Amino acid sequence: MSALHLCLIFSTLLFALGLAAALSRSNAILVLLGVELMLNAANINFIAFWRFSPQFASNPHAGVIFAIFSIAVAAAEAAVGLALIIAVYRHYKNVRLQDADQLKG
Amino acid sequence: MTIASHPYAFIALFVAVAAAFPLGLLLVCRLWVWAFQPPKPSPVKNGIYECGLEAKGDSWIQFKAHYYLYAILFLIFDVEVLFLLPFAAAFNVLSWGALFVMLAFIFLLAEGLVWAWNRGHLEWK
Amino acid sequence: MNATINYAELVYALRPEIALTLGLLLALGYDMAFGRRMSDCARRGVAVLIGIVTLASAVFQTLHTNVPPVGHAAYWFHGAFVYDTLAHGVRLGVFGLSALTLLLIAGSIPHSALRTPHFKHPAEYVAIQLLATMGFSLMAVSNNLLIAFLGFELASLSLYVMAGFDKTSRASAEASLKYFLFGGMAAAFMLFGFSLIYGMTGTIVLPEIARALAVQGPSPLLLVALVMVLVGFGYKAAAAPFHQWAPDVYQGAPAPAAALIASASKLAGFAFFARLLFSGLGTVSGDAINFGGPAGWIMAVIIISAASMLLGNIAALAQTNARRLIAYSAIAHAGIMLLGVIAVRAEGAGPLFYYALTYGIATIGVFGVFAAIERTAPCQRISDLAGLWKRSPFLALVLFVCVLSLAGIPPLAGFFGKFYLFAAALYLNGLMSPAGWLAFLAIAMSAVGLYYYLVILKAALVTNATAGTSASTEKIRVPLGTVIALATSAALTIALGIWPDVVLGLFK
Repeated sequence: MSALHLCLIFSTLLFALGLAAALSRSNAILVLLGVELMLNAANINFIAFWRFSPQFASNPHAGVIFAIFSIAVAAAEAAVGLALIIAVYRHYKNVRLQDADQLKG
Repeated sequence: MTIASHPYAFIALFVAVAAAFPLGLLLVCRLWVWAFQPPKPSPVKNGIYECGLEAKGDSWIQFKAHYYLYAILFLIFDVEVLFLLPFAAAFNVLSWGALFVMLAFIFLLAEGLVWAWNRGHLEWK
Repeated sequence: MNATINYAELVYALRPEIALTLGLLLALGYDMAFGRRMSDCARRGVAVLIGIVTLASAVFQTLHTNVPPVGHAAYWFHGAFVYDTLAHGVRLGVFGLSALTLLLIAGSIPHSALRTPHFKHPAEYVAIQLLATMGFSLMAVSNNLLIAFLGFELASLSLYVMAGFDKTSRASAEASLKYFLFGGMAAAFMLFGFSLIYGMTGTIVLPEIARALAVQGPSPLLLVALVMVLVGFGYKAAAAPFHQWAPDVYQGAPAPAAALIASASKLAGFAFFARLLFSGLGTVSGDAINFGGPAGWIMAVIIISAASMLLGNIAALAQTNARRLIAYSAIAHAGIMLLGVIAVRAEGAGPLFYYALTYGIATIGVFGVFAAIERTAPCQRISDLAGLWKRSPFLALVLFVCVLSLAGIPPLAGFFGKFYLFAAALYLNGLMSPAGWLAFLAIAMSAVGLYYYLVILKAALVTNATAGTSASTEKIRVPLGTVIALATSAALTIALGIWPDVVLGLFK
């Protein structure tokens, strides 16, 4: 089993764990953590493919650049997520998702 | 090359298994609760300790919401380094255009800081 | 290190985006310097005015771009950006739709003492909307997975904030949190899919991906990547089974934000979706012409499309909340637009673009009417619309035109959108192809849709507001900005229906 395969298995596991956390947690902040795990799994993929597999000559650094940008996007997403969670907290006085059930139909 | 002998075939299988894993766990939990743990909440059952002193308050400590605003501002400037570092490392071979682009980037970030300052979000209330 | 990076070309490619950035800095700066000394109304007016002028200058920059002839494309900045008629049209379209929704802001301020006024920070709202518009515009010109992802996220993050902008409303906060949590997961799925595509092909530029995939052929990992990318886009388009956020957001978000989410966001999303699938993954599309051809993404798109049409139309029948009804109808329309994505193969992107644009205009009209009603009385249930024609004949007329366009009644734009789209889908291979049967399903489902659109119109135009119902009988005074936006959208809905070639001609 090559290093690339190990990296891919690791990232897939991380993705699955993040998805499990995002789907099963009821605390909005923990769901956010799960989503961040999923994004970072994809970043590991980019770095692993960039390091271990053949590249198109037109842009040999595409993978690592993609990872840098997606880390920044993940940070922006965390910032927006925290802000929205604060907004919800101001109305509900907690961040449990099962309490946010006003909209349905 | 057939599909089964493709070098990435087992990873596809692995992804399928990995996706089934959280969903399967959730399903098993549901089944377990349905079969063995019908919900019967009572003050005793919801208590944190089975015996001893009665718990007062929540076991989760809550930070002041204002703290998160600082966290958000910090996060943005923390991640900015991510772009500045490769720029600094390659500074000698870059053209004036790159410098201009980077200055525009820093200007936009600084503009965010000025906005937060002006709106009074940097003051601890 | 590639030493020949041409930054002038980058600036040329991104002129509309640069105009938007400068505009949002101006809006924020002006508000910081002079906002405190102005009345709320003047502050809002200045912010909206700066927003409109900025969008107009972005349109001006777009119009002064050389558009290659139909069927050709120009590539900028080492293939990072592509410019063709679709990119040109989508840029103009999203700027226009964004300007229309900006005009709705003035009208969505509660007039009476029903609630404390929201939109306390109009400059920030305008700035975030300009950021979202920049994201749409980037999606329109991106020729590379990275630019597309950045545009997609810029637009999504701005829309989350806009959905939660009404700080006084519990529903708005809840809607934005749900939108965000679903959206974050979808973005993660899409990024993971992109990373797998990158791993298989070693490149993130769409035409190079197509070349590499043509050599490799389909593989199981590619299937996983495709499914993950489809999850991401299905969410963005609110297609079943990734639609759960849509009804909540349409109900809870402020009306102008909901209008933007329903219009410009859809247009840019579908345009990029079509570009990604055809110019990046076109070689593994599978067969839409015949049954039993090789499998590819077309089959998955057909399934999502059929599910959206069925779920959207049938769930809409049961709604009592007008905004949720529009949300479910939006899911059904997303199904039809996915059919349009498949039909790009037959007729090019023209029918899809025309459909998404006219759908966006009509939806802005409907949300504008809801926003204007909300100034005096709550407007959530369908029964709240009762007696609208007495309270404001203008609003009733706009609602009549826009809802009939959504339902697809000739001679309005919605009818011709459906007509060209179904014709393109049937042109693939008639009823001998999966796409043909999907078009058949779409026609049947449009007939179902007619029922719930008529329910809205019946409430607004026929029913009287009696003492028993919740609707108020107070006359509605519509502010100037909303009048302009509503009149424009109604007029465009009629005009584009009578002269569809104005838009379709771009693609011929």
